[in-house]
Amino acid sequence: MSAELDPDAALMLRVKQGEAAAFGELVDKYKQPVMNLACRMLRDATEAEDLAQAVFVQVFKAADRYQVSAKFSTWLFTIARNLSLNEIRRRSRHPADSLDATHPDLDDQPLQQVEDKRTFSPPDSLLHGELQDKIEAALAELPEAQRTAILLCRQDELSYEDIAMVLGCSLSATKSLIHRGRETLKQKLKPYLRTGVWSGPG
Amino acid sequence: MNDDALYRHWLELTWRRPLTPVEQAELQAWLATHPEAQANWELESGLNLLLEHLPQAPVPSNFTARVVAAVEIEQRAQTRASRFQGRFWPWQWRWLPRVAVVAVVSSVSLITAHHLYALRQDKVQFARSVVAVAEVQSLPNPAILEHFDEIRALNQTPAPDEELLKLLQ
Repeated sequence: MSAELDPDAALMLRVKQGEAAAFGELVDKYKQPVMNLACRMLRDATEAEDLAQAVFVQVFKAADRYQVSAKFSTWLFTIARNLSLNEIRRRSRHPADSLDATHPDLDDQPLQQVEDKRTFSPPDSLLHGELQDKIEAALAELPEAQRTAILLCRQDELSYEDIAMVLGCSLSATKSLIHRGRETLKQKLKPYLRTGVWSGPG
Repeated sequence: MNDDALYRHWLELTWRRPLTPVEQAELQAWLATHPEAQANWELESGLNLLLEHLPQAPVPSNFTARVVAAVEIEQRAQTRASRFQGRFWPWQWRWLPRVAVVAVVSSVSLITAHHLYALRQDKVQFARSVVAVAEVQSLPNPAILEHFDEIRALNQTPAPDEELLKLLQ
């Protein structure tokens, strides 16, 4: 795949040359999907935020090693998944540690304070709060590979081949993971799917 | 494409994205001739709808700025580290750590090999001794030595009588 075909790869080339603005563009474009994945992998918004930040820092640090032939989104989600798995493993070993503790050598650095201007919109999800909890719980109960496959499946920029690369398995195994995961979800959420409780927000 | 493969094709399409109107029409036509697939298709569509409307994870408005700040800190730390390294470790000596590692590994390997060889030699020597002892014929029955002291005493000749010898001369 050439840089002309993949605009993200073109941005990464600029990042390689030290262009901070290009890196900012990539972060802006992918922060939401990376956060979505991290949030559903870790089930903790604060830790997911730290992890998403670590993913992008890792992308920047590894920019020199990035091959333009590789699709950026595939590479990014592979990093995101690996860091999430590392975090899950680390959590199981040291349940009380925070992700901040991974760079003790940087503790003396003054942290730049940036204001969070996020506005909290009225939670339209409240109407379907219970159902969403059920979905989130059903997703969380899936084996990690099935859950990741299903979540990545909703990413427009990822094909089945790309998802297979992120998961490190074959195309048929990936489709099988998605199928099995969806079958489990259908079983667990059948009452809601049948009664049509959910009609989407708005 | 047979019926199963076709159905699978529709499923895999909808797992990733909504169907186009044309695809939707084709699917409806197919479902009309395959009513047994209708129930499962409704569940699949319902699940797609649920997944599609999963709430987005909250992203702080300052997320990008924070990432960029973290990257700058990382860069500063790297620059500081490389400056420190450059000051105390000239680049011409970059090969030195690798050579040192190779030297240490080689030395440890040689010492270990020598130690193992010596150990093996000891074992061989021991085995030889065992073989030598094993090859010695069995000792005589102790019963035959019962009168050993008396027999030995019989063989002892008395000391010559010097005085008598002189007289005889």
